[in-house]
Amino acid sequence: MEKDLLQAYKQAPWRTQIQRVGAFLLIVVVIAVIAGLYLNISGQSAATGRRIQNLESDLANLKRENNDLQTQLGEIESVRELSARLDSLNMRPLTIDEALYLEVPGYIPADGPKLAPPPVIKAEPSPVLLPEFTSGFVEWLSQKLQSGTTSPTDEVQE
Amino acid sequence: MSESTTKRFYLIAFIATVVAVVIGIQMFRIQHTEAASQLLSEGELYEGETRIVYPDRGSIYDAKGRLIAGNETTYEVALDLNSVSQPKTIASVASSVLGLDYSEVLGYAETEPGNGNPYYRLLVDFVTADKIEQLETIDADYRSRDTKGNEVAPSIDGLVWVAHSQRSYPEGELGSNITGFYSFLDRTGGNGYFGLEEAYDTQLSGTPREVFLAYNPQTLSAVEEVTPGISLVLTIDREIQAMTEEALDEAIEWSGSEGGSIVVYNPEDGSIIAMASDTRLDPNEYWEYGELFPDPTPYNAAISKSYEPGSVFKVLTMAAALDSGLVDPDTRFNDTGAFTIGGHTIYNWNRGGWGDVDMTECLQYSLNVCMAWLSTEMGEQTFYSYLKNWGLDRKTNIDLGGENYFPMKLPGSNDWYEVDLATNSFGQGISLTPIQMVMAIGSLANDGKMMAPHVVKSMIINGVQHDVSPVVVRSPIKASTAHDITDMLVTSLETEASNALVDGYAIAGKTGTGEIATPYGYSSTETNASFVGWGPAADPKFLVYIWLEKPSISQWGSETAAPVFSDFVSKLVVLMDLPPEESRLVNNDDWYGE
Repeated sequence: MEKDLLQAYKQAPWRTQIQRVGAFLLIVVVIAVIAGLYLNISGQSAATGRRIQNLESDLANLKRENNDLQTQLGEIESVRELSARLDSLNMRPLTIDEALYLEVPGYIPADGPKLAPPPVIKAEPSPVLLPEFTSGFVEWLSQKLQSGTTSPTDEVQE
Repeated sequence: MSESTTKRFYLIAFIATVVAVVIGIQMFRIQHTEAASQLLSEGELYEGETRIVYPDRGSIYDAKGRLIAGNETTYEVALDLNSVSQPKTIASVASSVLGLDYSEVLGYAETEPGNGNPYYRLLVDFVTADKIEQLETIDADYRSRDTKGNEVAPSIDGLVWVAHSQRSYPEGELGSNITGFYSFLDRTGGNGYFGLEEAYDTQLSGTPREVFLAYNPQTLSAVEEVTPGISLVLTIDREIQAMTEEALDEAIEWSGSEGGSIVVYNPEDGSIIAMASDTRLDPNEYWEYGELFPDPTPYNAAISKSYEPGSVFKVLTMAAALDSGLVDPDTRFNDTGAFTIGGHTIYNWNRGGWGDVDMTECLQYSLNVCMAWLSTEMGEQTFYSYLKNWGLDRKTNIDLGGENYFPMKLPGSNDWYEVDLATNSFGQGISLTPIQMVMAIGSLANDGKMMAPHVVKSMIINGVQHDVSPVVVRSPIKASTAHDITDMLVTSLETEASNALVDGYAIAGKTGTGEIATPYGYSSTETNASFVGWGPAADPKFLVYIWLEKPSISQWGSETAAPVFSDFVSKLVVLMDLPPEESRLVNNDDWYGE
């Protein structure tokens, strides 16, 4: 009787096998998905790493190019080059006898070149809340008493 | 399962466990052997490389922002021996384009890397961009060639070039006495020498940083940016500097001098507007230094060569006498032409006596006897305390490398004699550099306040420009004294109709003719000619100090340095946009033709 009951409720062998195979395949799929994600992320990370490296190389090249251009500009505008160009144009420096000065009221000559911004003075952040709201009643009262501040009502009374 | 089968399973399990344990022990042992640690350390070589990144050296700009010193790209050309396929082609190209020895390059290119031989062999450094362009053209040409059958296209694979920065000075010699130079050929241990490159070497260089560059793309990360060196903006005006150097060269040639210096200084804030000395070096070719400056030639005579200035020093003696209350401009002095002190007799420059003179005339006629009387009357304590207050016993600490000074003889020292009190009063027996004289006399042109001479106007740190504040060293004399001495010198120049006068401008100035000490006493033929002048007298914007060393056309400063001063200042006021007192100022109405 007991044997019959067990046999009646027992899973069919093919069903158990399918469940096991299914579980195994599920694990395989999960592992494959994780591996795929890992590969994808690591591939992206490697590509980004290389891109960073290339950008750094570009940055270094641009800095050098910038330096080169500044130096070239410096050479083109050097006193030596400018003098040669002025000579070729039959120009010469102004003499003291030829200089005329025009008074321009209110004109303030520029104070040297600004090749970079000046330092910014960091202002102390002003408190959003008044001390009355950030200190306790006893502290507030003692501060007022120590500073001897008169209240608006005192002023009115005076 | 039978009992024997069970025992067999236990046996197999036991053997498997023993094998696993043995394998585990062996794994642990192998990982902790000396060979393993060696292998690990060798493996680290392939993880990446540690490189020291040198920041770009800071640039130097003139007062108007024009580049004086910067950086430009240059290349090192080397052999990557793992990639060399055609040593003969490489040797041929390196020889024709870079001018290298064919057989030497061929020898390097044929070397098998490894086994003690390098993988990377430097062939030549500091190759210019145009040479690299030629190499790139050749490389591109070789790569584009079609080959037929077994024919092999020529290749310079393995010949590599790597860019790096090199110090560059677009203005060449201009202002080189001020900038100094940087030994850029030494890429890792370069130093700044003289001038700004020396004084600000650490700041200009920035801080090199060691960075690890990983080969593994997984571990790649952005290299932390290396902060560039600090850039400097100077008080030097390039146009005025060029004019100053040209004027000095012309003056030396015209006067037949051995050398000289001109310093243009703003007495209001101590900034140096221009500074020229006779020998100049192109810092782009700094290796010429030894040839151009044989010992003991100074790199910048204006800050490091001392000399006995002669009568230009009288302005200081007179200022001290006025400031101490000993005399006023109208005080009279009877000049007999001789003054005896400590067993020595002091004479005037012409050995004559000028009779009854006031203090302005003492300066105008440059009377040694009058000055000796003043210093003696002041007394050694008062006189030398003024000299010390003017900083004449020490360096000015100008922000340039290579400043020097000659120790001053002071009362109480073994080499000081009573007669020195008299001779020092007219600039003999005391040795000073032009910059010491400039700083001291600057106080006479700036209401008695002595400003520290400086060349740097502002610094650019991390992309922010910080201005350098002028520094008052001290106030050696009262403002009223400074005004009095300025007025006296304006009067003396105008009364004398000096060669130093500049039409339209009130200039305060003084000539100087300093005798040169030799091992046999003072030379009777060779002198140092000087002139110091400042203007416009009412509100001085410049102080010019001129020194001509041993002029041959005349031994007198009034005939050599004074006319040079006049000519120089005539050009200077135009470049500085300083209108004359009144005469040439155009009224707006006139300008518009009304």
